[in-house]
Amino acid sequence: MSFGGGGGRGGGRGGAGGKGGSARAGQKEAGKRYFFRRRKVCKFCADKIDYVDYKDVKLLAGFVPERGKVLPRRMFGTCAEHQRKLTLAIKRARNIALLPFAAD
Amino acid sequence: MSDRVYEILFIADPNLGEPEVDALADQIQGYAEKEGGRVQKVEKWGKKRLAYTVRKHEEGYYVLLVVEGRGALVKEVERRIRVTDGIVKFITVRVDEELRKAERRKARRAQEEAKRKAKGLPRPSPAESEEVSL
Repeated sequence: MSFGGGGGRGGGRGGAGGKGGSARAGQKEAGKRYFFRRRKVCKFCADKIDYVDYKDVKLLAGFVPERGKVLPRRMFGTCAEHQRKLTLAIKRARNIALLPFAAD
Repeated sequence: MSDRVYEILFIADPNLGEPEVDALADQIQGYAEKEGGRVQKVEKWGKKRLAYTVRKHEEGYYVLLVVEGRGALVKEVERRIRVTDGIVKFITVRVDEELRKAERRKARRAQEEAKRKAKGLPRPSPAESEEVSL
C-alpha cells in the first residue's frame, strides 16, 4: 500500500487503506457532484439545432469572443458532437469573412 | 449517382451597383446551368461589413446560390468565378448530406416524441433529449 504515485485514486481502490485515502476519495466525489449539478446543457441540443449553419452569424457570434477564437467546450457546455459542428461552421464563416480570424 | 447540392456564397465588389451585382449573379447562374446544374435558390444579402480586409475591401455584397449538380460542376464554376471580375471572395460548400442527416434526426425526434406521448409520459429531461439527438 503506497501513498505515492497512485494518489487519491490509488487510495480509493484499497478498501483497507488508511483514513487519509478514503477521505480524499469522498472529497473528490463531492467535487464531482458539484460540478455535475452546475453543468450547462448544450445549446444546440436544447434548441434542437441539427445543422449548424456557417451562414448564421448571429448564432455563431454567441460562441465566439470578439477576437474570433474558437473556445473550448467547457466554456459553453456544448456536447462533443455539436462542438465539432460548431468548429467547422466557424472555420467556414471565417473563410468568407463573416467572422474574423484574429484580433487586429 | 444522384446529384449533389452545393451552396456557392460569393462576395461581390461593393463598388458595383445593384443592377451590376444582379448581372453577376445571373452570370454565375449561367455557368452552373451550362454544367447541367439546377439553381434552387438565389439569395441576396446586400452590403455587409467584412470581418477582415479582403483585397483592400472593407465591405462586400453577399450573394448566395444554391445549386444542384454533379461534382464536376463545382470545379468548372469555381474556375470561372476565379477569372470573373468583381468577385472579391467565394466559398462552395456541399450541403446535401448534412441537411439530409439533420432531416433524419428531426424525423426521429418527432417519432420519439409521438411514442412518448402515446405512453403518456412526461417531457424528456435534457439528458434524455441529448441521447435522442445522437
